[in-house]
Amino acid sequence: MRSKPLIELENVTFTYPGVEVPVLTDVTLSINEGDFTAIIGGNGSGKSTLCKTFNGLIPQFYVGEFEGRVIANGLLAEDQTVAQLSKNIGYVYQDFDNQLLRPTVIDDVCFTPLNYGLQDHKERGEWALKVTGLEDLRDEFIWQLSGGQKHLLALAGALAMKPKILVIDEPIAQLDPQHAKRIYDILRNLNIEYGMTIIVIEHHTEFIANYCREVILMDKGRVLWKKTTKEALSRVAELMKHQIYPPQVTQAAQRLGIDMGKDDLYPTTLDEAITHFTQQAPSYKELRKHEPLHEEVKLRHQPIIQFQEVSLQYRTLKKTVKHALTDINISCYEGDLITLVGNNGAGKSSLIKLITGIMRPSQGDVLIQGINTRKATPEKLSDFVSYVYQKPEEMFIDDSVRKDIEYYLKARKVQDYEVLVEKLLEDFSLVDIQHQDGRLLSGGQQRRASLAIGAAMNPSIILLDEPTANLDIATKKHMVHMLNKLRKHVKLVIVATHDMQLVSEWANRVIVMNQGRIMCDGDKHTVFGNNVLMEQAGLVPPQILQLSQRLKMEVPCHTVEEFITIWDQEGANLERSIEYT
Amino acid sequence: MNEVSSIREKFSVEFVKEELLRTAYGNGDTFLARLDPRALIYWYLFFGIAPWFIHNKMILSGLLVFMVVTTVMARTSPLIIIILCTGLLGEIAFLFFISLFFGGGFESVLPMFWLTVKLAVISLASITVFSSMDPERFGDALLSMGLPSQVSFSIAFGYRTLPTLMEEFHQIFLSYRLRGKAPDSHGFLYWRSIVYFMKILVVSFYPLLLNGAKRSRTTVEALETKGFSYAATDSKVKKMKISYMSFKWSDYGFLTASFLYVVVVFWLGSVVQI
Repeated sequence: MRSKPLIELENVTFTYPGVEVPVLTDVTLSINEGDFTAIIGGNGSGKSTLCKTFNGLIPQFYVGEFEGRVIANGLLAEDQTVAQLSKNIGYVYQDFDNQLLRPTVIDDVCFTPLNYGLQDHKERGEWALKVTGLEDLRDEFIWQLSGGQKHLLALAGALAMKPKILVIDEPIAQLDPQHAKRIYDILRNLNIEYGMTIIVIEHHTEFIANYCREVILMDKGRVLWKKTTKEALSRVAELMKHQIYPPQVTQAAQRLGIDMGKDDLYPTTLDEAITHFTQQAPSYKELRKHEPLHEEVKLRHQPIIQFQEVSLQYRTLKKTVKHALTDINISCYEGDLITLVGNNGAGKSSLIKLITGIMRPSQGDVLIQGINTRKATPEKLSDFVSYVYQKPEEMFIDDSVRKDIEYYLKARKVQDYEVLVEKLLEDFSLVDIQHQDGRLLSGGQQRRASLAIGAAMNPSIILLDEPTANLDIATKKHMVHMLNKLRKHVKLVIVATHDMQLVSEWANRVIVMNQGRIMCDGDKHTVFGNNVLMEQAGLVPPQILQLSQRLKMEVPCHTVEEFITIWDQEGANLERSIEYT
Repeated sequence: MNEVSSIREKFSVEFVKEELLRTAYGNGDTFLARLDPRALIYWYLFFGIAPWFIHNKMILSGLLVFMVVTTVMARTSPLIIIILCTGLLGEIAFLFFISLFFGGGFESVLPMFWLTVKLAVISLASITVFSSMDPERFGDALLSMGLPSQVSFSIAFGYRTLPTLMEEFHQIFLSYRLRGKAPDSHGFLYWRSIVYFMKILVVSFYPLLLNGAKRSRTTVEALETKGFSYAATDSKVKKMKISYMSFKWSDYGFLTASFLYVVVVFWLGSVVQI
C-alpha cells in the first residue's frame, strides 16, 4: 500500500495575530494513502491546529498569518473552500457533542451527503450507521444518546461521505475501556476494509501500539519526526521528555533492558511483552512466593457517609422507568480514598449526586455525617461536601479563576479568605493565570482550577467526577499529585473514574458498579484479582498488572515501579539460587 | 411533606425539559401531525391572524369551539395548556386591576372577556399547529415556500440545542447552589428564599451564554465541514430536502372542511347576535 501521498504540507507556519510565537512552525510532512497515523505531543503542542490545516479550516476560519503550502487529496488547499475539501476529509472534533447538528440520529448521519446533493444520501447514512453499530438507534433523538453513542454518531456522520481521509481528535478521551476498544476496532476495519486513511490525535499509547502504524511527534508547533509505531514507542526516554508515557510494558522493558533483539526496539503490546519477558525469565514458576503487599489496616470509626437501602429511579422521555441505582448499602469512613469504577451508565454519577443532595433517593436514606439528605438543602450539605464536576466549564460562574475560587468563601463571609486563596492558587499552579476567565484555559488548566474551586470549600468530603479525563499523561501525573495533596485537607475523597492506573496508584478502596448495583467493594487486589468481576463490569486492568499476571508472577504488580522492583528481586533470588547449586 | 416533594418532582427541570420536547417532537401519530406541514401553515395563516380583526361575538365563539376541538386532536401536553390558562387568567386579572386603578368597575370585565376569547383562539391555533408539526417539518415547509435554507436550518438547530442548553443551565444553577449560601431563614412568605432563587436563576444565564459562545465555534466549523454552505448554493439539494412533502387528499380535505366550517360560522354570526 506504499502509494501516493494524500496529504502534503510544505513549510507551513501559522501565527495567531498579536502572538509572537507561531502555533505551527515550518511543518513539512506527508501522509500516504491507506496509513493509520497517530499524532502525539503534550497539551498545546499544535496537534489540533495541524489537523485543521488539512481541510482548510486554518487559515480560512482562523485569522492569522499563514505561510507554506498544503496539498490535500491532490488539491492545493488555498484554492478550495473548506466545504470542497471536506468532501474527502471527515473530521471528528474533540467536543463532538457540538458537531451533531440535527435532531435525530438518521437525519444527522445523512446531513452531509444530503448537503452535497448525493442521490444516495439515505443509503450512505444507513451504511455509516451499520459500520458504527448504531442501526438500532436510527430513529432516536440525539439528546437521548449516551456520551459514547454520541461519539459514535459523530464518527458515523463523518463516515457517511465515505471520505478518503478521516481525522479524529482524541477518539476515546471520555470512554470506558470497552467503548474505547470498540471505536478503535471500527477505525481499524475502515482502514483495512475500505482503505480509508486514518489520522488520530491520541494520548493513549497502549491503543497506538495496538492499532496505529505510524506516529508523528509534535512539540511546540514543530513536527519532530514521523516513525513506525514500533520505533516511535521504543524511544521511551525521548517520549517521556515530551510528556508522553509509552505503554507500561515498554517502559518496564526499557528499564530492565529487555529488547526485541535488535535496534533498541522494545515490546509495545501486551502479547509481545509476554513473549519477550518469558524468554528472559525461563525459570519463573520455581521462584519462591512473596508476601502480598498489603495496605495498612484502617481504623473504622463512625462512618462519614452511609447509604441505607438506597434506590433511585426516574422517568425517561418515553415514560419508562429507569433504575439508576438499586439496593445500595455502603458506609464510608475517615481516611478512605475511594474510586468508583464501572462502565458509562453504571450509576457512578448518580451515586455522587445523592451525596451532594442535588438528587434525593427514591427509597432509602443517605446520611452525611449523621444528617439525612432528605432534610437538608444542597447549600447546607456544601458546608462539608464539595463536588467537582466532570465538565469544569460548568463550574466557572465568575469571570476569573481567582473570583471563582473566592466565590464560596465570600458567600460565607469567611475571615481572611485572601490568605487561603493565595495558598490554593500556589498549590494548584494557578498564580499566573488567576485573572483569566476559566473558560479560555486549556484542558489541564481548567481541571486544576476546578480542583482548586473544590478545595476552597474546605470540605471534609470531596467528590470528583472523572478528574483525569482529557488530560495528557504529564498533566495527569500532576493531577494525581494534587489528589495526594488533597488527602491532607479532607477526611474522605471519592473519585468516579475510568482510569485504572489512577485506581492502582492512588486508591485504598475500590467500589465496582454495574447497572446501578454495587458488584464489589474492596481494595485493588480483590478487584483486579477477580477476572470474572472485571469482565462483567467491563473493566480492563492496567497493562503492567496484566503482564505480571500473565507471567504468573506471585505478586501482582500495579505500577511499573513495583514491577521493576519485584523483577529485580526475583532476578537476584534467581542468581542467588544458581550460586548455591 | 410527601406531597410537597412529589410536586417538586413534577416540576423538576427534567419534567419541563421533557414536556417541551414532547410538544416539539413527540406527537407524530395524530391526524394533524400526518398532514403536510404546508397545509398547516396555510391553515394557521388564517386562524392565527384573522381573529384579530373579528369583533363579532358569535363568530369568535364558533372559532373558539373549533380551536378547542383541534387542540384536543393534537393531543397537546397538559403543561402547555396549564401555562396558557394561567396566562389568560392572569391577563384578565391584571387588566381588571388596572381598570380599577383608573376608576373602572366590574362592567369592564365583559369586554375584557371577549378580548381574552380572541387571544384564546389565536393561542390555541398556535398550539395546534406547532405541536402537530415538529421543527424539522416546519423548517422544510418554510424552505419550500422560498425562505433561505439558513432560516430553516436555524429553526431545527435551535430546537436541537434546547435540551443541551437546559441541561447546562441546570448544572450552572446547581453550581451556584453548591457554592452559595441560602438564607438562614425563609423569611415572611418565603420571600428571602424566593429572592435567593430568583437571583441565581438570573445570574445563571451569564455563564450559559459565555459557554454557548465558546461552543458555537465548533458548530460553525462543523457546519462548514459538513458542506452546509455548499448546499446553500445548489438548488438541486433544496429539492431533495423537501421532496418528501406532498399534498394528499387528507390535506385538501382538512383545508376544505375548515373553510366550510368558517363559512357556516360567519353565516351564523350574521344572523344570530349574542
